[in-house]
Formats: sequence, structure tokens, C-alpha cells
Amino acid sequence: MTEDNFEEFLKKAAQSYNAPPARTPRDEMWSAIQAQRAAGPRVIYGGGSLPQRPARRFGSRIWIGAAAAAVLLLATGVGVGRWSARSNRPSANAVVGSAKAGSGANEGAGTPDTAVSGGTNAVASTQTDDAGGGETSPSREPPRIGGTRRPAAFDGTGKVALDAPPLNTTSNPNGNSAYQITTVRHLSEAEALLTSFRTRSAADQQMDAQLGSWARQLLSNTRLLLDSPVANDPQRRPLLEDLELVLVQIVQLSPGSTPQDREMIEKTLRQDHVMTRLRTAIPAGPQRGS
Amino acid sequence: MQMVAYESRSSVNDIQLITRVVAGDAAAERELYEMYVDRIYRLAFRLAGDDELARDFTQATFIRAFEKIGSFRGESSLSTWLHSIGVSVSLNGLRKTKRQRNREAPMEEGLTVGSTRIEADPDLKERLARAIDSLADKYRTVFVMHDVEGYTHEEISGTLNIPVGTSKSHLFQARSKLRVALADFAPEWAS
Repeated sequence: MTEDNFEEFLKKAAQSYNAPPARTPRDEMWSAIQAQRAAGPRVIYGGGSLPQRPARRFGSRIWIGAAAAAVLLLATGVGVGRWSARSNRPSANAVVGSAKAGSGANEGAGTPDTAVSGGTNAVASTQTDDAGGGETSPSREPPRIGGTRRPAAFDGTGKVALDAPPLNTTSNPNGNSAYQITTVRHLSEAEALLTSFRTRSAADQQMDAQLGSWARQLLSNTRLLLDSPVANDPQRRPLLEDLELVLVQIVQLSPGSTPQDREMIEKTLRQDHVMTRLRTAIPAGPQRGS
Repeated sequence: MQMVAYESRSSVNDIQLITRVVAGDAAAERELYEMYVDRIYRLAFRLAGDDELARDFTQATFIRAFEKIGSFRGESSLSTWLHSIGVSVSLNGLRKTKRQRNREAPMEEGLTVGSTRIEADPDLKERLARAIDSLADKYRTVFVMHDVEGYTHEEISGTLNIPVGTSKSHLFQARSKLRVALADFAPEWAS
């Protein structure tokens, strides 16, 4: 029994000790690493949390802050808009009620609200929805009967269908401007996101992850807006729907995604002229950034 | 076994790679990862004996390396630096896991109270595994790195930040303890 024999025996026998698999799960681990790094500071084995690199940490904080502010602002705007819309509905009923009680040939014409509305519509067909989207919507204009706007939801019984927009909301300028401001800010955010997406480095996967996080928040807001009276506007709705599609694609862009995935998003942006339509929808001037 | 040649200091290639990683080059990060992931994962697996833990340790090693690579001064080779992070992450992770298991152990022990524990005579492989597991971390790490994974004492010294003599001493201690634990199998190596 020699020492050398034992060492040889031990080395040979120890090869079975915690024997690793033949194949290292490289790609799986790399994806996990990218995902964890994109998620921000984390606790690691050995204690303590790791800070991000200074430059990137500063950048991501700004983005997260901006996104959080946008979400808060949008939620407040939608909330105020809905509250205003709710408080506006009785006046719409009152309009319909008074129309029924009146001559019946000219519904609402006797009320100051519809008189104003009718006068405007005669020229520009401007209709505001129940929250006061303030958008020009020619195709939503209900058919006129005898020179008077005929409310689509009015069934002649003096009731207004629950899902129909009110006849007139010019009496509620607060709700109108709340939705207007909220929508413009949301579209400005979306434009900023898409601009960042188009100008980012193709190899910067961490940037992709941050954009994904930002896009996720904007996607929620877009869906909120699609579910709000803002989407009643025939011009805004397609824009919001196209925006939703692009945001979904960006959200689904994993850190390991291929250039083809990114190209598909670029293609959607180009084909649907999303950027141009976004910029057109956002008014220039102080309101944009405010 | 695929081995990366040991260098006491960073090579030119290492420095170029590090510079690119520090500059935020994602391709360089992937390159660095591909160069070392196999060895780091193998070592983590040998120490942990569990695929999930080995993956966690390997990932944590690279995450920490990418975060701290800006402070890497090139006093050792990149390989040594990465391995020292890997071993540190693995051992700390295992200590944490062990503490958790110890907290859970009383309940499991309670279930076996009153029952007679009958064990089959373990074969060499099983006995050796238990003997290695029972070694102190410092001995086990050196033993695994040297006798199982084939690292040199110089590499172990750089990785664990201990003198080469200490590495040799730890290996000697580990082998001595294993020899006692495997005394029943003496005829197998004596023949």
C-alpha cells in the first residue's frame, strides 16, 4: 500500500463526485443572466446588493421615474375624465327628456347646449364624447333629421342607451380638457419611447429590457385609453390600436431576441406610419411637454 | 478536461476583452461568458452537487463579474479573478443553503424518532461522496479543485487567495481524512 497508489485511486474514484452533466446549459444561463441584470439591483450570494454601473443606473432611474410619473398622470386624467363624464350624464338625459317633452320634431334644439352644438356641427361636424375628448370626429356624427342632429342612442322613448355617448358635452369643458391633456401626454410618452427604440444600439440588450418595462406601462395606459371615451374618436382609435400592437411587440422583445424580431417592429412602425401619426396627433408648443 | 492555461497576470487579449466589456460592448460580455462558463459551471456543480444551485452560482458569478469588471486591475489573470468570484459565490451560497436545511432538519428528524435506521453498506462511491461532503470547506474546495477538476496549486492559490504551500497543506489534510474514511476499501488501492 503506497501513497501514490492511494492518490491515484482517490483521483479516479473522486471523478464520480458531484459529476456535472456533459452539456453546460449555456444559453439558458445566459438568458437568465440578462434577465436578472435587466431587473436592476439584486441580492446575490455572498450578501449585499449589487449596484448597476453608474451611467446605466442613472439612465434607468430617469426612465422608471418618467414612466411612473406618466402612469400616475394618466390614471389621474382618466379618473377625472370618468368622474366628469359621470356627472355630465344627467344633463344629457335632461336634454333628451326635455326634447321628448317639447315639440319632438327638433330634439334638444330648445336647450342651450344643443343649440350651441348644432350650430358648430353644421359647419365642422364637431362632436365631443361623454368625457369631452375634444376631437374632431366627422364620421361619428349621427344622421341628421330635418337639419337637427339625430341622436343614435335616442330610441324615441325618452331614454338614452347606456353605452351611447352623451349628446353633448360642451357643457363640461373640464372633462374635455382632462382627456385632452391625458391623451396628448400619453402620445408624447409613446413617441419618446418609440424614438428611443429606433435610435438604440441593436446590441444593447439591457436597453431592450428597459424599453420593454417602459412599453409595458404604456401598454396598460393605451388599453385604458382604448377603453375610455377617447377611443370613440375615429382618428384616435386606429392610432391607439396600432400603438397597442407596437407596444405589445416591444414588450415581448426578450433580451435574447434576434435582429429579425426588431426588424418586424420597425416594419410595423414604417408601414402604419405610426411615428408620423403620433407626431401629427401631438400638438406643438408648451402643451406638449406640460 | 479542457483547461485554460494559467497565467499569473492578464494577457493582452484579456485586457482588450475587459476594455470592451467596460465600454458596454454586449458582444464582448457574451464572448467573456462563452470563454469561461464551462469551467465555472463545472466547478460550481462539483461544489454544489445540484444543477439548480450550480446554475444559480454560475449566473451570480457572471453578474457580479460584469458589475465589478471596471474595478479589475489585471493583477491576476481574468480566469483566476473569475474563478475566485465563482468559488466565493458558491461557498457563500452553499453556507446559506446549509443553514436553511439545518433549520428544516428538526422536523425531518422528528419523523424518524422511534424508527430503527437500517442502512445498507454503502459502496465506495457513496462512502467517498459522504466523506468528501464531511470535509471542511477549505479542504474540500482544494481537494475538488485539484484532484477532481485538475487545477494546479498555483491556480488554486490565486483563486482562493492563499499561498501555494497552504493549498498543498489543505490537500494533504483532505487526503488524510479521506484515507481514514475509506479504510474499509484499503485492499482496492493496495492491490
